[in-house]
Order: sequence, then structure tokens, then C-alpha cells
Amino acid sequence: MFRNCAIIGCGQTKHTSKRRDVSAAELAAEAVNAALVDAGITMKDVDCVVSGNMQGFGGIAQPEQWLGDWIGCAGKPAIRIATGGTTGGSVGQGACYTVASGMYNVSLAVAWEKHSDSKEAGATTGLAHVGMGNLFHALAYGLSLKNLIATTAVGAAAGVAVYQARYYMQRSGCRQEHLDMVAAKNRRCAAKNPYAHLQWPNCQPEDIAKTDLIAYPFRYGHVCPASDGASAIVVAEEKFARKHCKQPAWFKGLASYSDEENQLQSENYGGVGVIDPSEQMGARVSAMKAYKMAGITDPQKEVDLAEIYQPFPSQELIFSERLGLFDEGTAWKHMEKGETDINGRLPISVSGGVNATNAIGSSALQRILEAALQIMGKAGEHQVPKKVKTAVAHGWGGVTNYITFTVLGDTPRG
Amino acid sequence: MGYVKDERPETMMVEGDWQVGAYRYKAPRLLEEYAQNLKNKKIVGSLCMGCGKVIVQPRNICGRCHRRMEERKIVSEWGSLTCFVVSPPVVKGKYKLFGLDPVDTGALKEGEVMIPVFVRFDGSDSNIACLLFNAKPEEVFIGMRVKAVWAKELKGAMSDLDGVEPIR
Repeated sequence: MFRNCAIIGCGQTKHTSKRRDVSAAELAAEAVNAALVDAGITMKDVDCVVSGNMQGFGGIAQPEQWLGDWIGCAGKPAIRIATGGTTGGSVGQGACYTVASGMYNVSLAVAWEKHSDSKEAGATTGLAHVGMGNLFHALAYGLSLKNLIATTAVGAAAGVAVYQARYYMQRSGCRQEHLDMVAAKNRRCAAKNPYAHLQWPNCQPEDIAKTDLIAYPFRYGHVCPASDGASAIVVAEEKFARKHCKQPAWFKGLASYSDEENQLQSENYGGVGVIDPSEQMGARVSAMKAYKMAGITDPQKEVDLAEIYQPFPSQELIFSERLGLFDEGTAWKHMEKGETDINGRLPISVSGGVNATNAIGSSALQRILEAALQIMGKAGEHQVPKKVKTAVAHGWGGVTNYITFTVLGDTPRG
Repeated sequence: MGYVKDERPETMMVEGDWQVGAYRYKAPRLLEEYAQNLKNKKIVGSLCMGCGKVIVQPRNICGRCHRRMEERKIVSEWGSLTCFVVSPPVVKGKYKLFGLDPVDTGALKEGEVMIPVFVRFDGSDSNIACLLFNAKPEEVFIGMRVKAVWAKELKGAMSDLDGVEPIR
């Protein structure tokens, strides 16, 4: 299969809505330097750099050229990956592939986003890259502007997620108050994470319930922010990892799938593949593949912690089911009992997750990073009280179709 | 709180035309067929002979069993809501799509509440995203029976199917 490899160093920046003190390259360098220091190595030890951000969002076309000098990787092989919202997940997995394949011994993965550089938080340039193809097509066939606005732009990703949420609520019995609970949990957890963006100590569901309605069932308090920030991990092969790290986070299984049926309008506008937008078959298939690779037969019992890509609270519930962590339609009941909280049975996104911090290109790498921190025991105040042996990290993106899923463990693959 | 960040006065503006329909995609055959049928107030879907699902708008390959979908089926213009979303009242200048204000362009009226819905037309297994007209937000429910609202002038374009309204 593949050569054992592990995360030996993690670095991220503080996430805020505007980092006007640094350029995109300086921002990425902050995370890279932190990761190298954490791993106790220098750039000389790194054989390959995998980088990425959401295409077009920072207004930079060739980001690796900006970063190269700043992170000191001149002359090293560079791989740039852009898969929309999952970019970070793909970047992290890409670094794993370069080492697992035997091609390189140590790879650095860095993903970043600097929303504040764009006039409209990336909405025009960024979404033009990822979503406009479908819309051009629709306009060419005479879709009216009113319908275009109403159906596809209730608010970018929110426009998609809100339908997902409605479907999920209808089939599971979950109510709007449960979304308040998830959002409040994420704000509270974020307050314990010094790198998170929307920090709200002691946030309660009632606080979220007071915020404005955007589109039922979503409130303003449910929605993720647009953050500036970067994250980086160092991935190394077994011998190097054991030498440089006391408790590495080992890659045990990983997969990524693209599922056109997730999309509101599939790529050729040939079908509204949505029989159920909350079905998310790509997540299910990715999880099955990665669990098998990791030798996990019962994820409900064997997974200790999950970092789920959940810009909207409903997605934490939907994806935790689709990733096999709960039975179908029951995630909200487990959440209601506090099982997904920081001291619960299966803590989910205790870093606050994407719901609290969303530097899009970096978000999915942050999930892998946060899962690794929990295994390494370095999460600080948001370290879960129990021993984390197996943690999973999920990414959702592309337009709405591309899923990455990674299983990390405290021991290498057997 | 606005949805659009403050305008940056220093931003360079370029005026001109943008031919957004100028791209040539490879798959328009099915969409063409769909749009032409709308002209006759017919909603066409494709039938999968593998799983029996009817997908509107029609598509080449079934997303479930990956068989070629050669058969066509006309579905009813009556259907049920499978999902709905309620927008807050539209406020001029609050929300822009690609730099266009929906109120300025005449696409939406000030104070209008939009109810985007998913409709499953009878005889189909997939949903169409469109707008619900002539209904108050508080009356809408999942499973509500609706019928198609056709444009005044049918042109063989996707805008022919304007939206849906409740069956009273």
C-alpha cells in the first residue's frame, strides 16, 4: 500500500477578519515557520512543498511564486493544489502522498487565505472561478436574473447549505434550536482556541437565537466568518518522524471523492442531481474507503475525535452521520446530550471548526492539523480530556461536491 | 449589518460589456431539448432504465447507476415542495450579485420576500430549484401542492418556467 508517514509539526496563524499588517506571503510564512519550529527542523530538511489556496480568492494567480522566497523554499519541488473549499484537505493529503509514495522523506504542506485582500471577501473573483461556469451556462439558456438570484445566490455557499439543512431537518426531526446549540458549542470551543476567529466564551444557544434571520433556518449567528489566516503541517516518513517527534500523528487512511449529485446544478447543467442535497454520498464513500485503509470496522466505537468541515451548523450534524460517526438522523440527538462537546463521548470540531474560523483555502488543512494536535496532545486549552488514539478530519468543497477525508492515529499503520 | 463590505474608493472600475453567455459548453443538447419543450409547456425529464428514476432536467448518464439515460418522459406541471427557504425582505443596496443590485436591475422589488423552493414535479424523482409565487411564508410547508407558473411569452428558454404557485 503506502509507506508510513506522520505529521510531526503543526503551525497556524491567529485568524481574524483583517490581517492588514502582513501580505499573503508573510501570512503563510508565519504558519510555515511555526510548523518548522514545532517539528524542530529547518527548511533544509524539507524535500518538497505542497501549497494551495482557494483559486482566485486572494486575487493572486500564482501564489507559490509569492510564497517561495518568504518561506525559504527556493529550489525545492513545488506542488500547487486548488480544489475549492477542500483545498487545504487536498494540500494535506498531497503532502502525505509525496512522502507515502517514497518520493520524498519530508514534505511541507501550507494552505492559506487572505479574504481581506479582496474587495468583496472573494465573492466576485473567487466565486467567478468556482461557480460561474454553471451560471454562464444557465444564462446562455435564458435563466432569468430573478431566478438566478433567488435559487443560486441566497448567499453563495449558504445558498447551498440552507437547502441541505432543510432536507436534513425534514428527514431527521432536527429543529432550528439544535442549529443554535451547535453554533453556540462552536463559539464556546473557539474561545479556548487562541488561533480561532469567532471566539465567544460561554456562548449559549439563546445568544445565537437572538441574531437576525438570513434565510430560514439560518441565522446570522449560525454562519462562519471570512477569515485571514494560514496553516501548515510537516509530514515525514517513519524513521524521520520517530527521530524528531515524541508523538507523531500518523496517517492511517485517506480518500477524496467528487460527487456531482451533491451539486445544485451539476457541472454540465445536465441534471439537477439533487434527489436529496443532504445525501452527501461523496462523504460516505470517502469515509468507507479511508476507514478500510485504516483498518477501522466500527467508526462509532473506534473514532475518538472528529474535525468536521462545517461552515454551517447543520453540516456538522449531516456530515457526522455521513462519515459513519452516528446512525442516520440521530446526530442532533447525540449533540443535544452533549456527546459532541469537548468533554463528551465523541468530541466534534472542538477547535471551533470552520463554523468559527474560515480562511477557506486553509480550513480543510486546519481540520487535519487540529486532529493531529489532539493526537499529539498539543491542543492546549481545547485539548480533549480523554486519550485520542484515532481522529478523523473531513473537508467539503470544490463547489459543493468535493470531499476529502483523513484518518489519523497515534500509532503507524500495522 | 450589510452583506457587502464597504466599497473601496480606490478600486479601479472598468466599464464595458461582459458576454456571459459566450462560452461554448459541450453538453447543451439535453438542455436545448428541455428548453424547447418548455415552449409547449412540457417539462421533460430523462428516465433511467436501470433504476427507474426520472430526472428533471434530463441528463445523459444516471448519477445512481451510471447507465445511459436514453428514454425521455414528460412529467406533470403539478408537483410538491420538497424544500423551501424564506428570505428576509429585499432591501435596496444591501445585497449585490456580481456588482448588480437586484432592485436596480428590476429583478426584485424593494420589500419583496423571496421563497426559493425545491419542487418535485409529479412523475419525477429529482428537484428543481425555483421561486414560489402567490404564497405567504407562514402558509408554506413541505409537501405543499404546487403547479408551474409559465412566463407570459414562451421563448423556448429556461425562463419560460417562471416558478410555481400553490394549488388553491
